[in-house]
Amino acid sequence: MAKKTTKSKSNGEKLSGSDRKTLKAIQGAADEVAKTAGGKRKPHLDIPSRTLSNVRFNKSRKIIEMGKGTNRRELFNLGQAKSYMQTLLVMKGCKGLIERGKTDTIRALYYGLKHKIKPTTENTFEDQGECDPIIEDTEVILDALREELHLRADKKGDMVGNLVLVDNGDEIDCTRMGSGGYGIPSIVEPDTIQFKECSAKFVLHVEKGTVWQRFNEDKFWKKHNCILTHGGGQPPRGVRRLLNRFANELKLPVYCLLDNDPWGYYIYSVIKQGSINLAYESQRMAIPKARYIGLRSKDYTRCQLTESVEIQLTDNDRKRAKQIAAYPWFRSKKPWQTEIDLMLKNGFKLEVEALVSKDISYVTEEYVPSRLADRDFLD
Amino acid sequence: MGAATGNARTKAKPAASGNGAVSNGAKRNETARKRVTAESMAAKQRDISVSEFFAKNRHLLGFDNPRKALLTTVKEAVDNSLDACEEAGLVPEVWVHIESMTGKDRFKVGVQDNGPGIVKKQIPLIFGKLLYGSKFHRLRMSRGQQGIGISAAGMYGMLTTGKPVKILSKVSIRKPIHYYEIQIDTKKNKPEILNGRGDGVDISPGAKGFQYIEKHGIEWVTHYDAVEEGKEPKEVRSGTRVTIELEARYQRGRGSVDEYLEQTAIANPHVTLHYLDPEGNLSTYGRSTTDLPDEPKEIKPHPYGVELGRLMTMLKDSSDTTMAQFLGGSFSRVSPGVARRICEGAGLTVRSSPKRIGRQEADSLYQSIQETKIKAPATDCLSPIGEDLILKGLHRVVPGEFYVAATRPPSVYRGNPFLIEVGLVYGGGSTVTKISYEVLAELLSQTDARTLRQFIINTFDGLGPDAADRIIKASGFGTRQSPSKFKSKQIAKLHEAMRNVNISEGQSMQVLRYANRVPLQFQPAGCAITQAVTKMNWRSYGLSQSRGQLPGGPINIMVHMASVWVPFTSESKEAIASYPEIEKELRLGLQAVGRKLGMYLRRRKRVSQEGERRNIFLRYLREIATAVHEINGSDEKKVYDDLLHVAQRVTSEADAKFDDRGKRVDEADEDYGDNVLVVSQDPVELLGGQTNSEGRLF
Repeated sequence: MAKKTTKSKSNGEKLSGSDRKTLKAIQGAADEVAKTAGGKRKPHLDIPSRTLSNVRFNKSRKIIEMGKGTNRRELFNLGQAKSYMQTLLVMKGCKGLIERGKTDTIRALYYGLKHKIKPTTENTFEDQGECDPIIEDTEVILDALREELHLRADKKGDMVGNLVLVDNGDEIDCTRMGSGGYGIPSIVEPDTIQFKECSAKFVLHVEKGTVWQRFNEDKFWKKHNCILTHGGGQPPRGVRRLLNRFANELKLPVYCLLDNDPWGYYIYSVIKQGSINLAYESQRMAIPKARYIGLRSKDYTRCQLTESVEIQLTDNDRKRAKQIAAYPWFRSKKPWQTEIDLMLKNGFKLEVEALVSKDISYVTEEYVPSRLADRDFLD
Repeated sequence: MGAATGNARTKAKPAASGNGAVSNGAKRNETARKRVTAESMAAKQRDISVSEFFAKNRHLLGFDNPRKALLTTVKEAVDNSLDACEEAGLVPEVWVHIESMTGKDRFKVGVQDNGPGIVKKQIPLIFGKLLYGSKFHRLRMSRGQQGIGISAAGMYGMLTTGKPVKILSKVSIRKPIHYYEIQIDTKKNKPEILNGRGDGVDISPGAKGFQYIEKHGIEWVTHYDAVEEGKEPKEVRSGTRVTIELEARYQRGRGSVDEYLEQTAIANPHVTLHYLDPEGNLSTYGRSTTDLPDEPKEIKPHPYGVELGRLMTMLKDSSDTTMAQFLGGSFSRVSPGVARRICEGAGLTVRSSPKRIGRQEADSLYQSIQETKIKAPATDCLSPIGEDLILKGLHRVVPGEFYVAATRPPSVYRGNPFLIEVGLVYGGGSTVTKISYEVLAELLSQTDARTLRQFIINTFDGLGPDAADRIIKASGFGTRQSPSKFKSKQIAKLHEAMRNVNISEGQSMQVLRYANRVPLQFQPAGCAITQAVTKMNWRSYGLSQSRGQLPGGPINIMVHMASVWVPFTSESKEAIASYPEIEKELRLGLQAVGRKLGMYLRRRKRVSQEGERRNIFLRYLREIATAVHEINGSDEKKVYDDLLHVAQRVTSEADAKFDDRGKRVDEADEDYGDNVLVVSQDPVELLGGQTNSEGRLF
């Protein structure tokens, strides 16, 4: 938790430019509260809204951008009073972190801010789930990224491949990572991680750790000279930001190997265009040039898979698939519409692991190489 | 009759009549085997005296069990006393003494009033003859109606204990007190005076009389309670005391004497009641007004209310020479014009003689009456309690926070004027939470309930099964545990649970029913009042209610029906019969108080919501002030005070915002009307209006 003593000038000198900008924004918000209250008015915060209705698909840049819509959060509104207080608490916590030059996980921030409100037994935050959206709110209010607030998400996702990078001053050779790979940190900004040497020709992003293990064990990255990443399902910001940097700075094409289900489609959508929830970060995260390798709905017949690998679609899956098909960035793409239609028509979904039924290394030796050779992708 | 030889006409002692019933039955069985001839049957056919009939059918009069007998006795005596006092224009003061006698289940009930007294020669007739009274033959709003009550009570006492009824009566301060001991000859329906060689005893007035009273152990309250400490108490100038010894059972709780007296006090705020219960506790319900209710007027029957048989009797007994005279003179609202129209409708002339009207003509006369338009009877013959006095009466006895009363305008059923009054009390805890350990122990020892659950539901007012279950759960006992065998430790545990369990949700509405100011304590389900209450949709007034049930919540409702002739469902006068007109008036009365209650509850809810709102804001202000201070270093206290200021403004604005019609209201003129009493919830204030002595329950 922040200590008052940390507010010294000597510390202020150590602050970087982006830190000073963030601190100014936090202070501005607090000044606003004091000023409004002093003027006997009701304090409020305007939060850019993070909903589908407030995002816009920028057709020329091919990324999702946040609109101008805001939600007002008022202190003197029964439903919002608590979250208003929580927002200020998060700002207070971030200010402490920035001033002390430390970063912390969002879980640690939640613990640091959680306490009983005297004299009641109510907690400032009941659980982490209450804290996380408030952190995202704070990001959009202050127009500061999570990294700029000195916050980290729990890291998730690994990497291996023909790349040498510097992480916080340590040189890391990603070809010598053994079976575990290099864990992708949640802050991968240029001031933390620099690329030193890269001979890889493309990036293959797979959905889950299990598939990634298969590719790593078969030394796929060595054979095909690439970087191999996974994001443990929906990739966290660190992974997405790193993929984005590969694409922009190293000009590497990014190919995604994901499950053939609505969840996999959406992972691809997030990697390519950015997420609705974090639309304000799309610019730094989205990779409009990413391509979808598979699995495809047609793979069931193409690869002659057996009935045993079918997973029936649930009602929820069908609903989600229709929602995804209706997103503006999918709606105009004919191949995607046929892809989704075919899945719905099949009535089942396919996981990447389904290919194991052919052969244990079918995916690394047969499936992906032939897709790459044929340049058979979805945009 | 005691002699079972068939010589039924031998004069027998009344006390033996109980045996007679048995031997008579045996006799019938014997003779059934032989062929019965008309002659032998004729030998057994004879008059049945009214007294005899009632001696055998005492349940018809409310003497079905010893517990109810005690109540009915007290009730008849008190009702008579109040009627007498009011008719004489005296502010009633009634003393009720119940004494436990040696011998199991024997009690002595003494009821004295400060009424006008009874003249000497009437005393034996009033108390010793069934169906003798002043109230049966007239249409006038009064408590008693048939003239059976008190003499039946005396007869019941005599049958169960063999003791005579003792009556003392004094008509003025200078006149002697007449003292009679009376028995009823059940066969002849005639009183027998036992003392003073069949002539009673006169106790002279003044000091000499007081000495005599003391010396002979006669019970008579000679003086009122002193108004002020040290001041000479005033002498009771006149009055009547009746003392009956009877077999009975004393039990508190629902349907008890205690409950009856309490409810009587509610509906009769002009009465002072002194009550000495068998355990020697004295409680007093002081009057809250000295204004007597308006004296009800006697009216003639309305033509619509008369039945064919009665019409024929009236025609026969009439001394009038023409129909015009007869109709105009015997009924109310019959003008010469109306009389002519009735006669024309029946094919008679106004000049026909009433005595000559035959059966057929009477029938068409009856039909004609029903078809002729006749003005509704005058309703000024009724004397309502009035909204103001209902509020006073309720406030005096029932603790609560919101009181509302409504008196409906008079209406008519079957030619009888009547009116409905409703009073409602909201709030105030149930008696359960206030009960003392000693009283609970006593109640437990007296109860005849088989299970604990039954005991709780039956003993305490306003406790539904829900609340009982909660109490039992909290106390850790089994539902079916027998309550009469509880040990002191268990009682303590139950007592603890009763005090602590929040039962306000499990409480259900308590309905107090009155007919002509007399509480009705039995047969609630068969009564038009209860039916009207359960039929109402109380949910629209903010109460919870399951279908066909009484609504829930800490509510007492009193419903009073005043009428010259209350239509009871039976002679024991326990439930009011439903007539469509009565149902309608009941519904309108209940709606009137319901609306006010709804207003109050909505407002109460809003106030508590506002309070909660403010609390929520206040809770977070400190956190916000601290955060702001830590972020930009502004003065924490100033930020907090500023925010607090805004919070108060915001919530107070909402406090007084809008009433239920969306109109902006100020605190000051937020008024429910003049028939409402809102008591601040200060506990001292609540107890202030109560003269109930500490520890009393009902």
